[in-house]
Amino acid sequence: MTGKKTRPSSLSERRKRFAWLIPLADLRLTLTLLSFSMILIFVATLEQVRIGIRGAQAEFFESLYGIWHYPEQFWGGGLLNPVPIPIPGGYLLGGLLILNLLAAFVTRFQWTGKKMGIQFIHLGIIMLLIGQLATQAMQEESRMQINKGESKSYLERFHGVELAFIDVTDPDTEQVVSLSQNLLEQGGLHYTKDLPFKVRILEFGPNCEFNSLPPARQPTGTSAVVNRGVIQSANLDIRPKPEDFSSEGMNFGYVVFELLDGSESMGTWAAISHPAGNHWWAQINPKMGDLAFQPIRTGGRLWGATLRPEREYLPYSIELLGIANEFYQGTEVPFNFESEILLKMDGNQTRRALVYMNTPLRHDGKTFYQYQMNKAADYTVFQVVRNPSWLVPYVACILVSIGLLWQFSFHLARFLHKNSGKTHEAA
Amino acid sequence: MTENKPSLRLKILGLVLILSGVYFVFLPNKYTALSIIDFFKGEKITAEETINLDAFSRIPVLRGGRVKPIDSVARNTLLVLRNKRTALDENGTEVPAVKWLADLLFDPERADNLKTFLIDHDQVLGMIGKKLTRDGKYFSYNEIEPFVEEIERSAQEAGKIEREHRNYFHQNVTELYHGLILYRNLKTTLTPPPHAPSSSVHDHSQLEPMFFNEEKDTARTDEYRRFRDLTAEIAQKTEEIKMGNSEVLGPLMYFIDYYARFNLFAEFFPLPPEPGETGGKWRKIGESLVGSEPLDSKQKAEIDPARFISTARALVASPDVELPAKISSIRQNLKMDPTALFAAQYAEAIKLRKGIDPIIELYEKLGPSYRAKDAKAFNQTVARTRTIVNERAGEEISTLAFEKTYNGYEPFYRSSIGYLWIFLIACSSWLVSVFSKSERGNAARTLVNCAYLLTGLALIAHTFGLAGRMYIEGRPPVTNLYSSALFISWGAVLLCFLTEKFLRLGIASAMGSLIGFGGLVVAHNLSIDSSLNPSGDTMEMMRAVLDSNFWLATHVVTITIGYSTTFLAGFLGIAWVISMLFRRLVRTTGQGRDLDRKLVSMIFGITCFSLFFSLVGTVLGGIWADQSWGRFWGWDAKENGALLIVIWNAIILHARWAGIAKVRGLSALAIFGNVVTAWSWFGTNMLGVGLHSYGFMDKAFAPLMIFICSQVAIIALAYAPTLFALPKSKKTPYPVD
Repeated sequence: MTGKKTRPSSLSERRKRFAWLIPLADLRLTLTLLSFSMILIFVATLEQVRIGIRGAQAEFFESLYGIWHYPEQFWGGGLLNPVPIPIPGGYLLGGLLILNLLAAFVTRFQWTGKKMGIQFIHLGIIMLLIGQLATQAMQEESRMQINKGESKSYLERFHGVELAFIDVTDPDTEQVVSLSQNLLEQGGLHYTKDLPFKVRILEFGPNCEFNSLPPARQPTGTSAVVNRGVIQSANLDIRPKPEDFSSEGMNFGYVVFELLDGSESMGTWAAISHPAGNHWWAQINPKMGDLAFQPIRTGGRLWGATLRPEREYLPYSIELLGIANEFYQGTEVPFNFESEILLKMDGNQTRRALVYMNTPLRHDGKTFYQYQMNKAADYTVFQVVRNPSWLVPYVACILVSIGLLWQFSFHLARFLHKNSGKTHEAA
Repeated sequence: MTENKPSLRLKILGLVLILSGVYFVFLPNKYTALSIIDFFKGEKITAEETINLDAFSRIPVLRGGRVKPIDSVARNTLLVLRNKRTALDENGTEVPAVKWLADLLFDPERADNLKTFLIDHDQVLGMIGKKLTRDGKYFSYNEIEPFVEEIERSAQEAGKIEREHRNYFHQNVTELYHGLILYRNLKTTLTPPPHAPSSSVHDHSQLEPMFFNEEKDTARTDEYRRFRDLTAEIAQKTEEIKMGNSEVLGPLMYFIDYYARFNLFAEFFPLPPEPGETGGKWRKIGESLVGSEPLDSKQKAEIDPARFISTARALVASPDVELPAKISSIRQNLKMDPTALFAAQYAEAIKLRKGIDPIIELYEKLGPSYRAKDAKAFNQTVARTRTIVNERAGEEISTLAFEKTYNGYEPFYRSSIGYLWIFLIACSSWLVSVFSKSERGNAARTLVNCAYLLTGLALIAHTFGLAGRMYIEGRPPVTNLYSSALFISWGAVLLCFLTEKFLRLGIASAMGSLIGFGGLVVAHNLSIDSSLNPSGDTMEMMRAVLDSNFWLATHVVTITIGYSTTFLAGFLGIAWVISMLFRRLVRTTGQGRDLDRKLVSMIFGITCFSLFFSLVGTVLGGIWADQSWGRFWGWDAKENGALLIVIWNAIILHARWAGIAKVRGLSALAIFGNVVTAWSWFGTNMLGVGLHSYGFMDKAFAPLMIFICSQVAIIALAYAPTLFALPKSKKTPYPVD
């Protein structure tokens, strides 16, 4: 580390000035953090079986620490399972690794051409870490389902619901006012000039189970206070359930709310959202069909209330022209999922596009990926992602590649130099 | 080592070893059907009076989405049924795959006596009243036949249990049941299942005259022809298609239903697209006669009879030129309407499917001549079939001749024998070198050199095997779990070969051949795992998201090289542990320090490679994921596994740079790298979660656990050398830390 002829004092000067950083830059700290990362990743991967990718991500990767219980079905599980084991989380380890690397940049790395490769590599690693933190904070994932021949101009969030009030009095225009999941979670009283009533959120949960009780029995669960709307007429008993994070998990979000005209109560309603779309309610039980639209008449206008996946309206719409789902002959292996779409933008501008595997549609900062498809029912589902930090990993990769190339060329040059020296001797 | 020239005896020994390697790897031997020479020879020419199964085995058919020679179908299905690429006859003599398939297709009674099924689970054996010790583990269809219903019942029971809760009996009985279905389907690929009209629906006296009659008819095509006459008649007189006209509609419906079901029971597609068809698909015989059912048969119950009859009549009455467009319009726009869809199939069967495919007639002729051992007729028919099929199949058959020879050459089997041989030679070289007198020192050197040269030879066969797969598939080398095992072992052997070139210690040869052999054994076991490879064809089609040669060639290949190098570093770590223990045992201090230095630099250098490839591969994977799923990183199980390898390699290198890990530490860390890589390669697939779980398997769990435990045990051995350092030893213990 010493004995460099170019800028010999640079590193030692830095070490003197930032002496307090030296312990933070210790390689042994790096090794400890990396070892803990191994444990974290391994445990979180195992936990995916139990709580799903999203659950494991929330518990372990997007937290300072997670609590792990040794799986019951493993050897000695009965004995070890009750012991809670704290595992350092992704934010903790990622943050510390970034600090450790930054400190190493100041107090350990030589800023010389020869070692430039090492610096590029580690700079790239820092960027990858920061990029992942940024992605987890900023990325939004939604879905868009379009039937063949129809257009859609909104996205639905994969997770998260909204309580929407829709004014359908005027047959030509709909007015929609919605309360996002954040507001529902906050609870309390909400009002806006667009709504003719105030909304008091009494209870909200991401998942519930519900039972239709015989008329003689009164609901005793969350819906006991409800005196208006479908939940009351279908005599539904709602009981909260923890959110299911697994990939096949079906979460029925619910909300109990009271509407107030001034300070006078209009009644208490409840709503449940169906994870596959509220049009499914009618199929489950005709009495519950109105969960897609619970009518509320007030001030001579007809409003409807519904709890549905949170929507984002787009300034453009997408029409599905056709889908193709092809299989290798005589197998169930698909070789193509393809949606042909027409993107309709402002001013009657249109653009045709094909969306298929490995080839999404990119438009307006969003990317539409082919996600699901139903050939018989002729609809397609896109996964729509907005990730403003998508470029960061690419830049990081370029930095790491430059660094690796740099280091390798130095080694190669030295190797060639050595070898040419030998041949000279031989000559 | 002294610089003496090797003696003549040693030269002869070396030559013999090398030649034995050439024999195992390239030349004709009794372990495989064909040799390297067969690639340069044309087709075998057989005498006129013997049945030419070689020519028969080259007929192209489509199975598993890919056009392949019948030979591949025979070998692959036997691999599923018997875990071997041959069958056994009653006396236990091997029957070549294609002979077995020809029996099954043309002389099923004989095939039913061949030992085709592997049953080695005691409980399943008990079901069919057999014992492993008395009856062996291979059984014929006839031996199993009486118990088929019981097996089916047990398999259905097992099917109701969730996959992770099934025990070995459930797995084995399900496998056997699937095997029986596969066997029966093969049997009914060219010959339809027996007629069984239901007496309540069909008028038997009306149908009987149309059925194939062994006494009167020359071939089953006579029945097909009678059916064609019926449809031709109906096509002329559309007014006959009316409610209640069971005289005409009864047989029509029976036969369309019967031939459509024949499709479901056929294992492969023998008929190439018809001449003049563009972008045509291959057909099964039933499809050629009546098309295929648009929906599940159960949906027939939902048909509205009146509308079905009127739609079918209207379609049949429409002019020939308009009909295809009308049918495809129904298939496009009325997907939820079983009445219209079935009517469209009927119209196709009545009017669009014309005549009888000449290939059907040829296959029909093969049967009688095969049974009568009429070689001349059989060989002529095969030749004509091949001419017509080849012509109609077009470009799809360009690799078929190669595939047929490639199958028989069995490059991976050959190279695995080669690797075993090399490992033995390299090990014996160390034993010899322990007593390092001059003559024996030379002997050791000869053995080491032989191992090195033989590695090169085995590597050529291994490389040829991979290249052959790439040529047949038109894909980069790694396309599934099976080929990843082939490629991982190949990469490790290649690196060992290069290492050995510079450091001729025999260690890289030994470890390379060990990984090579191990990898090929793993690959073989993956190929016979019926849950992973249900068709028996290791060159399966790629699902849509993987169907990208660019990403397969970049991400998958680099990641796999990363696995390969990490394993190699780990095995070199093991080599150090063994050499250290060995030196302790015989208490030599000889070249210990020098050997350690060399091993450390080998492990270190290879770990650098590992970090490079696993990092680049993981990052490329992230970019691919960003391109196709919209996120660079999703904490998917396989992604996490790859990240673990990257981090572990980083830990090894940083521990070395920090001066924390010396010889012992570095070796132990590298050995643990084996555990990490095995987890990432197989363990993550066993979780059954995430996007990469394309290769789920549960059978590999026990072997994986054994491997992991063995690695941990070796690490423990590395840290327990004092066990062997006897207290009375006067020699100072060799410093390793």
